[in-house]
Amino acid sequence: MDRTFVVKAANLRAAANACASRSRHGLLAMFACDERAQSGCYAIYCLFDGRWPDGLTTVKGLVPADGPLEFPSLTPVIPAAAWYEREIYDMFGVKPVGYPELRPLVLHENWPEGVHPLRKDFDARQEVPTAADRPFLMLHAHGEGVFEVPVGPIHAGIIEPGHFRFSQAGESIIRLDAKLFFTHRGIEKAVEGLTPDAALPMVERICGVCAVSHALSFSQAVEGMTGTVIPERARWIRVLAAELERLYNHVGDIGNLGAGLGFAVAVSNGARLKEGLLRLNEAVTGNRYLRGMVVPGGVAMDATAELRQAIDEALAAFEPDFAELVGLFKENDAFLDRVNTTGVLPFTAARELGVVGVAARASGVDWDMRRDKPYGGYGELDFAVPVRRSGDVAARLWVRVDEVHQTVRLIRQALERIAASGPELAASVPAAAAGSTGAGWSESARGANVHWLMMGEDNRIWRYFARSASYANWPALTVAAPGNIIPDFPLINKSFELCYACLDR
Amino acid sequence: MSAVEMLTQLVFSLGQAAVLAAAAPLTAGVIKTAKARLQSRRGPGVLQPYRDLAKFLRKGSVVSPTTSWLFAAAPGIYFAAAAGAAALTPVAAALVPGRGAGFADLFMLLYLFALGRFFLALASLDAGSAFGGMGGSREMFIAVLAEPAILLALLTVALPAGGTGLAAMAAAAAGRSWDLAAMFAAGAFFLVLIAETGRIPVDNPDTHLELTMVHEGMILEYSGRPLGLIHWAVAIKQLVMMTLFAALFLPGGPSDWPAAAQAALLAAKVAAVALALALAETLTNKMRLFKVPAFMAVAGVLALLALVAQ
Repeated sequence: MDRTFVVKAANLRAAANACASRSRHGLLAMFACDERAQSGCYAIYCLFDGRWPDGLTTVKGLVPADGPLEFPSLTPVIPAAAWYEREIYDMFGVKPVGYPELRPLVLHENWPEGVHPLRKDFDARQEVPTAADRPFLMLHAHGEGVFEVPVGPIHAGIIEPGHFRFSQAGESIIRLDAKLFFTHRGIEKAVEGLTPDAALPMVERICGVCAVSHALSFSQAVEGMTGTVIPERARWIRVLAAELERLYNHVGDIGNLGAGLGFAVAVSNGARLKEGLLRLNEAVTGNRYLRGMVVPGGVAMDATAELRQAIDEALAAFEPDFAELVGLFKENDAFLDRVNTTGVLPFTAARELGVVGVAARASGVDWDMRRDKPYGGYGELDFAVPVRRSGDVAARLWVRVDEVHQTVRLIRQALERIAASGPELAASVPAAAAGSTGAGWSESARGANVHWLMMGEDNRIWRYFARSASYANWPALTVAAPGNIIPDFPLINKSFELCYACLDR
Repeated sequence: MSAVEMLTQLVFSLGQAAVLAAAAPLTAGVIKTAKARLQSRRGPGVLQPYRDLAKFLRKGSVVSPTTSWLFAAAPGIYFAAAAGAAALTPVAAALVPGRGAGFADLFMLLYLFALGRFFLALASLDAGSAFGGMGGSREMFIAVLAEPAILLALLTVALPAGGTGLAAMAAAAAGRSWDLAAMFAAGAFFLVLIAETGRIPVDNPDTHLELTMVHEGMILEYSGRPLGLIHWAVAIKQLVMMTLFAALFLPGGPSDWPAAAQAALLAAKVAAVALALALAETLTNKMRLFKVPAFMAVAGVLALLALVAQ
């Protein structure tokens, strides 16, 4: 059950701080909603994991549209709010007062001043002149011998666009700032006015490699809002799909870490293993990236006995291969020399910034949505949450390795549960009442993906917000990189496995 | 030396430079293919570097407007230095005693490489991009460390030869046996070879990660024909270093063999070195940049041990 506290904007900081101090994890997401049509206010929502085990705690601050469009910034007391508040300022023009050095995040220098695309009176179909030349401030370091290295947004490899500004003293990184959101797609805006079913294909495509997790979070938000209970078989098939997604992601990421330090054998072995898993995905769902499986109300496809056996056999073949891949890293001094003590994210920084997923668990933050806010049947399954404390590249690698073993266990349990469950795959989802809200979350390979929905008339989406794991983790990179040398940056970056598309939703 | 003798030497030197320049891309292709096979990939085939070169040399080039004449001149100088070094390599001397490279000594060879590197490093700063500067600074950092190690290693051959003339060194090396000193010296030069040819664990020739690049970072601003010239020069320099290694540090082959048999033996040795490089690149990963001094120190110590053991 979700609990919501509604406060005046002026009291937002006090209320949020109280909720944060009673939460285990803290701030999960923060966003605004244009509710001028309903209440004449902009609403600022803050989602916390809260003190109750069965749902989130929401603080809703109301900013009257006829008054000054501002609210007290949470960032000075809750650093995790930093990016959310910059985004709210960009997208709604509601200003966080007291934010240290407020600057744009999503909208770059070419976007005209005073145009806030998530306001309801902004028509998504209009053409926006993008010839503006606003200042886009990036953080620097000053001093004798300090120079700047600008990298990107176009890179030598085939990766997504991101601009990094390193302040350097020789090879050492003093400060790092990133300019991202180059290919923002406006998915949150585009699904407004659609029914949840029509919105799903777009939501599923927020990120290529978190398709299941995003679809799952979204579906759970819809189901929670409408009181839909999904059939048992669907629950276990969802667990199966979500864990298959984690499996291919982790295996690919583990092998790909070698690319950061020119360890080609690991890269090609990881790629081979990942390809096998992608083909398994295709056999199970007809899509290598598991798209189209999770739908609001249940799942779209069955995991038949033959498929279950194919998965079981694939896992049996996978395990020794994976042990071989891990063997390439373990007790390999040349490799360990590069990853140990490189790119340390300290525990306090991970906690304060609200870092999630593998990155958090490698820095000693013992937090996993599957265990701590159980959803979709995970509460009944037997698995451990691996945690390491050193916070370096190695810790993030070993957490992934440990999680792969847990994921294999989970898949086997899901297969048994599917075999023992009834044949029904999906329940029908009733239309949601106007004004109803719901949150859904799932633990992807990168961490918690949190989705939030508010419905308008006729079962159409009024506001949709997606907080991906990468959104929470990107700021951690600017903490982990300084103090290292710049040739180690690609390795550090790879160990976080951050996603650009998850930001450009 | 008579005029006819000098002319013969010149023909030999130019001829071997042409042969080495023509064979250099093949060596690069062999290393690449061997690496691919070791990593359970198929690889593009040993002739791919020729196709790449042909493509580069046909293409136009984009030049930053902020560059000076240095940027335009550097690829030519770099290529000329590499081709010059190829002419001085004691290949003919290793095959036919007393033929070719009679006038070259090892300092001339090494400082031809240094000359090329100097101009390429200047050119890397010329365009003003951060990657070029980083690459140039790293290249010089590694070069400073590699130079004493390479000299020490070569001295282990120069001492028994009684001079630094390359022809004399090759002749002395051919008659050498596989003793402890030779093994130490070969080990030292192999480590230097890895550093000088920009291979793992010192540099990664196949990376697309700008921030980790050394040599590739230096030439990031180049495109088209100048880039092709640099790639070709790099391949020539690599083959020259490998040939030096094979001729001076891998003894073997009775000196009374005919020249053709000697040539085949030398080619086989170079191929073996190529495979060894591919294997070394597959077995390990790139080391942290600031561990390179320790790596070069090992090469230096091995060379010293070889000198002592002689």
